[in-house]
Amino acid sequence: MTDFEDIDQRLARLARNTEALRPSVGFSARVMGAIAVEAAPSFLESAWFSSRRLLPIAAIAAAFAVAWAAQVDRSVEDELATSYASVELE
Amino acid sequence: MDTLEKAVDRLLSGDASAFQQIVDITSVRLVRLSTRIMGNQADAEDVVQEAYVKAYRALKAGEFDRRSSTATWLYRIVVNGAIDAKRTRSRRAEQSDVQIDPSWDGAAFAEARVALSELDEWLQALPAEQRAALVLQSFEGLNNSEIAQVMGVSEGAVEQRLVRARAALRQRRQQP
Repeated sequence: MTDFEDIDQRLARLARNTEALRPSVGFSARVMGAIAVEAAPSFLESAWFSSRRLLPIAAIAAAFAVAWAAQVDRSVEDELATSYASVELE
Repeated sequence: MDTLEKAVDRLLSGDASAFQQIVDITSVRLVRLSTRIMGNQADAEDVVQEAYVKAYRALKAGEFDRRSSTATWLYRIVVNGAIDAKRTRSRRAEQSDVQIDPSWDGAAFAEARVALSELDEWLQALPAEQRAALVLQSFEGLNNSEIAQVMGVSEGAVEQRLVRARAALRQRRQQP
């Protein structure tokens, strides 16, 4: 600052002279890299997303399992009834 | 509606590539603002990069209510980030070999770096909030109402910061 330059004049000069400041080369790419990391789903999000796609298959498999268990249960009851009948006959 | 607002609309409607356009439109102004507050380009770029990540998160989470313009909102994130960084970070050594785009005027950039060094030396004794207010007024050309909006304080608080900053600079000049 010269003797004749007041605060406002010095601010105006520095504003003019720093107008050419620019981001360094590759800055935009670095920002977009950070955004890509931010946008990528985390492990838990990926697991949740994958499991959501498997949900219908899991529901059908569960329905089959319940039907099979019910059928097995009925077979066991039939077998037991048959054995009791046999014992009574003997 | 200007290009920046349209890019935000595109991002909000699911076009992820629109963020690149937001960066292209705003990065020169935001890095210049941050550099003038931080006094160091490497730290300033870190602040702006963090600001973009915060902005991206807020946009994706639907947290930007658009009560202010996108430009003002981005200014606010950068200024707050720069003030926090000034308070907490140890200053990183300035790189003398910052790579600049060959299409820019190298002489003007070199002159800008000399001016930045003078600016930083002159304003370094000011608290971060006062320095930010002074930069927004004298370098970015904002009025007190706009500075209040960017800094999230009342116009009275802005006026007080500016008066104190100028008083400190005057006092410094009078010291032998």
